Amino acid sequence: MSSAEVVLRVKDLKKHFPVHRGVLSRVVAHVQAVDGVSFEIRRGETLCLVGESGCGKSTVARSITRLEEPTAGTIELNGVDITALNSEALRAQRREMQMVFQDPYSSLNPRLSAGDIVGEPLTNFDLAQGAELEQRIAKLFEHVGLRPEAVNKYPHEFSGGQRQRLGIARALAVNPSLIIADEPVSALDVSVQAQVLNLLIDLQEEFNLAYLFVSHDLAVVEHIGHRVAVMYLGRIVELADNADLFGTPLHPYTEALLAAAPVLEVDGPRERIILQGDVPSPMNPPSGCRFHTRCPYVLPECKRTDPPLLEVAPGHHVACLRRPVGDSGAPLSIA
Amino acid sequence: MKSNVSTAATAPIATNGDTILSVQDLRTHFYTRDGVVRAVDGVTFDLARGETLCIVGESGCGKSVTALSILGLIPPKIGEIVSGSIRFDGTELTTESEREMRSIRGNRISMIFQEPMTSLNPVLTVGEQISESLRIHQRLDRRAAWDRAIEMLALVRIADPKRRAGEYPHQLSGGMRQRVMIAMALACNPQVLVADEPTTALDVTIQAQILNLMLELKDRLGTAIVLITHDLGVVAETAQRVIVMYAGRMVEEAPVRELLNNPKHPYTRGLIGSIPRRKSGGARGRTRGRLQEISGLVPSLREPIPGCAFAPRCSFATPRCITEQPPFEAHGPRHFAACWEVARIEATSSDQLVSSPT
Amino acid sequence: MASTTAGAAAATTPSSSKGALKWARRNKTIVGGSLILLTLVVIAILAPWLAGDPLQFEPTNRLKRPSETFWFGTDQFGRDVYSRVIYGTRISLIIGLCVAVLATAIGLVVGVLCGFYKTVDTILMRVMDGMMAIPAILLAIALITLMKASLLIVIVAITIPEIPRVARLVRSVVLSVRGRPYIEAAISSGTRNGRIMVRHILPNTVAPLIVQATYVCASAILTEAGLSFLGAGTPPEIPSWGNIISLGRTFFQISPWIIFFPGLCLAITVLAINLVGDGLRDTLDPRISRRM
Repeated sequence: MSSAEVVLRVKDLKKHFPVHRGVLSRVVAHVQAVDGVSFEIRRGETLCLVGESGCGKSTVARSITRLEEPTAGTIELNGVDITALNSEALRAQRREMQMVFQDPYSSLNPRLSAGDIVGEPLTNFDLAQGAELEQRIAKLFEHVGLRPEAVNKYPHEFSGGQRQRLGIARALAVNPSLIIADEPVSALDVSVQAQVLNLLIDLQEEFNLAYLFVSHDLAVVEHIGHRVAVMYLGRIVELADNADLFGTPLHPYTEALLAAAPVLEVDGPRERIILQGDVPSPMNPPSGCRFHTRCPYVLPECKRTDPPLLEVAPGHHVACLRRPVGDSGAPLSIA
Repeated sequence: MKSNVSTAATAPIATNGDTILSVQDLRTHFYTRDGVVRAVDGVTFDLARGETLCIVGESGCGKSVTALSILGLIPPKIGEIVSGSIRFDGTELTTESEREMRSIRGNRISMIFQEPMTSLNPVLTVGEQISESLRIHQRLDRRAAWDRAIEMLALVRIADPKRRAGEYPHQLSGGMRQRVMIAMALACNPQVLVADEPTTALDVTIQAQILNLMLELKDRLGTAIVLITHDLGVVAETAQRVIVMYAGRMVEEAPVRELLNNPKHPYTRGLIGSIPRRKSGGARGRTRGRLQEISGLVPSLREPIPGCAFAPRCSFATPRCITEQPPFEAHGPRHFAACWEVARIEATSSDQLVSSPT
Repeated sequence: MASTTAGAAAATTPSSSKGALKWARRNKTIVGGSLILLTLVVIAILAPWLAGDPLQFEPTNRLKRPSETFWFGTDQFGRDVYSRVIYGTRISLIIGLCVAVLATAIGLVVGVLCGFYKTVDTILMRVMDGMMAIPAILLAIALITLMKASLLIVIVAITIPEIPRVARLVRSVVLSVRGRPYIEAAISSGTRNGRIMVRHILPNTVAPLIVQATYVCASAILTEAGLSFLGAGTPPEIPSWGNIISLGRTFFQISPWIIFFPGLCLAITVLAINLVGDGLRDTLDPRISRRM
C-alpha cells in the first residue's frame, strides 16, 4: 500500500470563516473551521475523516474540492497544486476528483432525468456524445446496480438508496482517481447503507480508486477505512491505520469517541467514558490543546502548550502531550 | 466520568399486573390523494411500569406513527386511528376527548422529539416553557413552578440552572436543548415517557450523555419509557424489551439480548447483519467483509398486503408467505415473531447470517 | 418550468379529454381568466371589422346616450365610444404585453448577473434600488416632455420601473438555488458556469417569472391608463382606455357612459390577467408541485 503513488497531498490546510457584525459588517472574528490539517491519500486507499459535527471534517472535503476557497495551505492532486489554479484550469483538474454528497435528495437536480444527471460530467469534459454517451451512461448504471431502463426516470421516482447510486455513478463517470464522499450513507437506512457501502468497496477494488470518506459514524469508518483521521475543533488529533486506531487509540478524544458509540455486543456491564460538556466554539478555541476542556486526563501543561501531531509508532500519529514518541504513558517533559 | 449501563439489561421486568400502557391491534391510516396509507397495521404490546421498551425499524415502518397514536397526536382529517385500543392506566385513550387528552399529554404521558430546536418555542425562555406545563397540569403558582423548573434543570444536569432557566433555546447547544426537553417531559412526573429518536440529531459523545441521563432518571423516577429509534446500537444499550417493526406491522418482539443474539425473523436478522460492526482488535487494515444487504425495497403501504410484508425481500419466502399473513406467535420464552418459516431459519446458523465474513 | 408543468400536466392531464376536463375543473381561475383574455385578444385583432372609425368626428351626434346606433354612446366630439373602446383594447393589450416581455427579459438578465456575480450584484442592485424609487408616472411625464409622445415612449417609461421588481425576484431565486447541493454537485463535476446557469439555475426562475409577468402586465395596463388620464400617456390621436376616460371626465355628470365602458373593460382585463396569474402561481408553486 505504501508504495502506491500519492493521489492527494494536503499540507497545512486552513479555512477560516470571517464573522461579520454591526452596520458596517466589520469582521469581528474568525471561525477556525479547519486550522492546519495535513494528510495524504494513495491510490486505492480509503482515508476516513471522522469527528463530531462542527469539527471541520466536511469543510476539509469542501476546501479540497474548492467549493470553499481554502484560507491557507496547499492541496496537491496527482502532483498539481490546485490551490493556485484559475477557474478553467481547476475545472480541468476536477476530472480527477469527483464528489459524492450526503443528501441523495437535494444533490440531484429534480428537473433532469437520471441519464442526464449521470451523463453531465461526460459532456462537461467532452468525453462522449450521442450514441457513445448513451452507451457509457448505460454502463455506469450497470456498475452501480441500476437498471439501464432507469435513465429516463426523474430523481423523485427513485428511493433514497437508488438516488445515492445515481450520485455515485455521476462521480464515477469521468474515471476520477479520487472520490470525496461527504457523509454518503448517513441519510440512508441501515439496510440501504449496507448496500451503498458494499458498492463503494466493490468500485474501489474494480477501479483502484482513492476515497476521502467523511463520516461521523465510527462503525462505518471502521468498516470502510484503510486509514482514519480523527478531527476535533479543526485539527487532526489522531491519524493511524484502521486497526491501530480502533485497537489502540492513543488520543483521549478518540478513546472517548469509541467508548461513546453504542455497540450491539454489550454482555454485562461495560466501562465507558462519558465526556462532560459540549464542544467549545471554533470561533474561540481553547488555548493549548483544544481538547483540554473536556479531557479526563488533562494536565496543567495542556492549557498552555498546543501539542503537534507526531508519529509515535509507525504510521500512528497523535497530537497529545501525554503521548511522546516511543513512550506510552508518562507526560512529556517540556524543556 | 465513568458509569456502567448494566441496569438496562438485568433489571427485572414487571409482570402483567403492573401494566401501565396496553396497545391492542392498533391500526392508524392516513388519507392521501393517492389512496389510504396503512401506516400502522396491527400493533399490540403491553408496557410495564418502569420498563424500557424500544421500537426499532427503518424509516416508514410506522414506529413514529405508533408514538403519535398513543399520544393522540394524529392530525385529524389527514389520518385517524381506525381500530384498536390504547389503554393507559385503566383509561381508554382512543375514545378520549381532545380536552381529556390534553390533560394527560405532557402530564401523565410525555414525549421527547428528535429535533429539540423545533419542539421548543424560540420566543420563551426555557424556564418559562418548563414552568408553563407545571402551571397547567399541576396548578402550581408562578413562583413554585419556576422553582420546580430550576430543580428540573438541575436534575437533568444543566450547569448553573438558575441562569440557564432565563435563557432562550437558541442560546443553548443541541445537547443542552435535549436536556431541557427531557426536563420538560419529566417535570410532571409522567408514568410513561415516549421518546421518538431522542438522540438521532446529536453527536455520539452527547448521545451517550443523554441516553445515560434518561436511564438514570428512569430508575430514579420509575417512569416507563417507549424509545423509538432506528439505531440498533442504541437499542442494545438501553432497552429491556424490543419490538421490531416493518411496513406498519410488528415482525418480532423479545428481550433485548435474546433478540440480538437469537433473532428469529429474517428481517431482524437482515437488519442486524447490515450494521457495520465494531470489531475488537483484529487484522491490519480494514476488514474487507461485505455487509449483509437486504435486497429490494420497502413495499408501498397504499395497497393491502395479504401475506407477510417482508416476503418479497426474503430469501426464505414460500408461496404461503405471499398469500397468508403469518401470526405473531411465541417461538420461545417471551420471544414472538411473525414468520411462517422460523423452523427453517433457525436451522440456518445465526452466525452465518449475522456476523460479517472475514 | 418545462419539467414542472410537464410533471404537473402528466399527473393531471392524461391524454383523454376527460383528464383535460378534470384539470380545467381544478384550475377554474386559469381557465376563466384565459377565456376572458382570449376574447379580448380576438376583439383587438378583429377591431377593424367589429367597430367603425374611432376617430371620426360627428359634431351632430355629441354626447349621445347609448343606443342602437351608438352602443356605448358618443363623446363630446361625437365619436363612437364603442369603436374607441374596441380600438383601445389593442393599445392596452400591446402595452401590457410589451412591458411584460421587456421588463421580464431585462429583469431576468440583470437578476441572473446579480445572483451569480457578487461584484456585479453590489453595483447593479443599487442601480435597481434607484430605479425603483422613481415613480412611473413622473418618469413618463419627464420623458414625454423631453420627447414627442408616442406609444414607444409610454412602453419605455412603464417598463423602466418594472425592471427592478423582476430583477429582484430572479436574483432571489438564483441566490436560493445557487446554494443547493445539486449546484455544488454540478460545479464539482466540472460543469462550466454558463451551463450551470442555463441548465440548473434558469429553469427554476421560469415559473415565478411567468407569474410575475402577469402581474407586470396588469400593472402596466393600469399605469398606461393612469398616464393617459393625466395627459402624459398615449398621444390623443390613438384611442386608449386611459385617454377616453381622461376626455370623458369633464362630462362625467351628464354622460357617465364615456368613462363607464372603458373603465369596465379596464377592470375586466386586469381582473382576468390577475386571475391567470394567481392560478399559475398556485399550480406552479414549487412547494406544491414538488410534494407530489
